[in-house]
Amino acid sequence: MNESRRKILDMLAQGQISADEAERLFAALEKEPAPPSSSASDSPPRAKPKYLRVQVEEQKDASLHEPSVVNVRVPLQLLRAGVKLASIIPAQARDHVNGALRDNGVGIDIGQIRPENLEEIIDQLDDLTVDVDKKSEKVKVRIYCE
Amino acid sequence: MIPFAADVSIRSGRHREWQLWIPLAILWILLAPLVLILLPFFCVACLIGDIDPLRAIAVFWRILTSLNDTEISVNKPEFFFSVHLY
Repeated sequence: MNESRRKILDMLAQGQISADEAERLFAALEKEPAPPSSSASDSPPRAKPKYLRVQVEEQKDASLHEPSVVNVRVPLQLLRAGVKLASIIPAQARDHVNGALRDNGVGIDIGQIRPENLEEIIDQLDDLTVDVDKKSEKVKVRIYCE
Repeated sequence: MIPFAADVSIRSGRHREWQLWIPLAILWILLAPLVLILLPFFCVACLIGDIDPLRAIAVFWRILTSLNDTEISVNKPEFFFSVHLY
């Protein structure tokens, strides 16, 4: 018998709680997850995310209007399939895409993107918020996996 | 699994909101013969473009099957649009 159960029985014996209350406490104890056996796992294991959510909120001129909200939920499977799509782009077209990316300051080779890279990004992408301040509007972009 | 239906909602200005349920399964059935007819042309185009046609078909199929449970909504004061594939 563990410590919590003994304490409940003691309280019941001393008349501090009624039999119904004791029953509820026992039920609550049973629902409680068991404490982790090893000290190595401090946090509970995270469920594998299934979706990537992108929320864009645009607030124009100091809350005169309701903000515009764009909400996109994409299955991560679709992103994985998209990465595969990059692998079937012909070499000539790939060079064009890489050149255009380089011109815009993005120095990546789309031919080198592998599904493993995407998994690394997903693992790290808990919750990313980007605030964009323009002259007359505020844009908040929130990207997270769920 | 490929999406078999889509919910589409549209509202513009003060007009009433339109809610459509689109049975994509029927669309796929109707498109299937067209896909079969166009398949040889697609394969030839892939070979001309130096792309493995089987690999291309596999990738497109994977994209199609991954679309399930995609949600997109745009909510502006004067306009609302949402689509959910499932």
